[in-house]
Amino acid sequence: MSSVDFKTYVDQACRAAEEFVNIYYTTMDKRRRLLSRLYMGTATLVWNGNAVSGQESLSEFFEMLPSSEFQINVIDCQPVHDEATPSQTTVLVVICGTVKFEGNKQRDFNQNFILTAQASPSNTVWKIASDCFRFQDWAS
Amino acid sequence: MVGEEQKEDSPQWFKVAITDGRKYKKPWLLSSIQSHCSVPFTPIDFHYVGLRAQFFISDASIASALKDVSDKILDDNSQKISIVVSPTIVPNCERNKLKPEKMEQLKVAMKKRYLASHQALDLQSFRFDPILVDHGIDMILNRKSCMDAALTIIEEDFPELLSLNLRNNKLYRLDSLSNIVEMAPKLQILNLSKNELKSAWELDKIKGLNLKELWLKGNPLCRNYSNNSTYVSTLLELFPKLTRLDGLELFSTLSCGNGKKKLPVCKGSVYGSDTLKSLIWQFLTEYYYIYDHGDRHVLLNTYHDNACFSLTVPFNSDDGVLGSLNLYSKSSRNMIKIKDSVPRTQLLKYTKTEIVDFLSALPKTQHDLSSFVVDTCVQTENMFYFSVNGQFKEVETSYLPHNCDFTRIFILNRTSNSSLCIVNDQLFVKDIRFDEPKTDLLIGHIIL
Repeated sequence: MSSVDFKTYVDQACRAAEEFVNIYYTTMDKRRRLLSRLYMGTATLVWNGNAVSGQESLSEFFEMLPSSEFQINVIDCQPVHDEATPSQTTVLVVICGTVKFEGNKQRDFNQNFILTAQASPSNTVWKIASDCFRFQDWAS
Repeated sequence: MVGEEQKEDSPQWFKVAITDGRKYKKPWLLSSIQSHCSVPFTPIDFHYVGLRAQFFISDASIASALKDVSDKILDDNSQKISIVVSPTIVPNCERNKLKPEKMEQLKVAMKKRYLASHQALDLQSFRFDPILVDHGIDMILNRKSCMDAALTIIEEDFPELLSLNLRNNKLYRLDSLSNIVEMAPKLQILNLSKNELKSAWELDKIKGLNLKELWLKGNPLCRNYSNNSTYVSTLLELFPKLTRLDGLELFSTLSCGNGKKKLPVCKGSVYGSDTLKSLIWQFLTEYYYIYDHGDRHVLLNTYHDNACFSLTVPFNSDDGVLGSLNLYSKSSRNMIKIKDSVPRTQLLKYTKTEIVDFLSALPKTQHDLSSFVVDTCVQTENMFYFSVNGQFKEVETSYLPHNCDFTRIFILNRTSNSSLCIVNDQLFVKDIRFDEPKTDLLIGHIIL
């Protein structure tokens, strides 16, 4: 990443992150069954200390969660250095907000994602390589 | 109705082609054209060919009115929609249209197959229906004229249709069936089993239906899916309300029990392996020792030359945050608040010098390592990605000391000389005094 095109990387990461956050939480709240399609086949999830990996297990895991209403308050993102992920365009997305799972009180959460660009002939599709979710007050 | 006003002997036909019409949905396209057209019209046989959308009309004055609509409609991207109208021979669908007496027989056959109590119409193996065979009507539902005739009767006589069985009709394409979306809008159950459908693309043509139950087994397309979950998710994408597929409940695991779903139990740190655990802890201990007790400039060599760092807090700087957390607020790179690309780039600290300069300017801290919970997310041979959740307090501050929750994400890269360096670093800080009502509870966790 030379500093000339660093801004280009940042802009690309921001666009990807904003679009992704929009799609992710709408799918989570309204079309949960399709959520696992946003993940790569080999994706991993760490959800409040529970590790899940692979699309099929993820899909089962999400079906198990009560229905949700997410509200996003903070989004940040960074282009991931290409030495860490050679020949892969990768973005770190960090989110903070509140969530109300049906039958539970509203809680604050932090979530971060590693997104990987999957080039297709017509456009770039971002898929989740890794997802880490925690309630801020998970221990209480 | 235009078609009805025409004389039987010499109707003149026109083809109306919408260039690039494929881009638009039929209802939008037709209503836009109608609202710009000086006379009402009824499109015959609307369909897409290549990139075009086209339909037929049989009235010269309407043809000329439609010509005038060309380039008058703008789409969402302010693109003009051009319409080309040209004279044509009688379209196939009209020429092959069933004669009124055959329509009557078809209606009789269909009424016999309608079960009013279930609002269900059973057209399986329809070609072999004895009434149709006796009257010499060859109902091949792949033919547009035949399907159109059946759909016309459905629209007129069974407008409340809930369930339609088209099993075993050798259907290999669903272009003609696509009109069902408008003609039987309440349809919920559709049986297409034992036909010749080769791809799920065919179903795209009827995805406007709010199907709850669909039968497809016995079609070649089923063989395209090596596993059931891709098959199910492809169909759910088309029909999101689907609950039964090929006779099986899609979400039986969910509907059993008392229906109440519970959140999984929250657990502590996830490391993946003991080796990784000791590696991460060695890194964290060294890093935070310097961060809390030393000159943070010493961290310079912990970072990659072109590392990135950014910070977020859950408040806006103008929310009146007290004391030293204000220093964090000012640098908060919350993209919901900061929309412009220039400050977004500026707030992303880039290169190791800029990062350690920034960290050195932040208030002195004391991290409570015993509060740390580590989630290890990705690990490859040369890359480690984990997040740390914990608490710190500010020390040596002129303000009242703050207790803060933080979440910090590190992406580390193993360099060629096998040492670890930080390539990405993201810090989220939250002043827990602002957090009602669990503040008391968390204060108890803070050790120093």
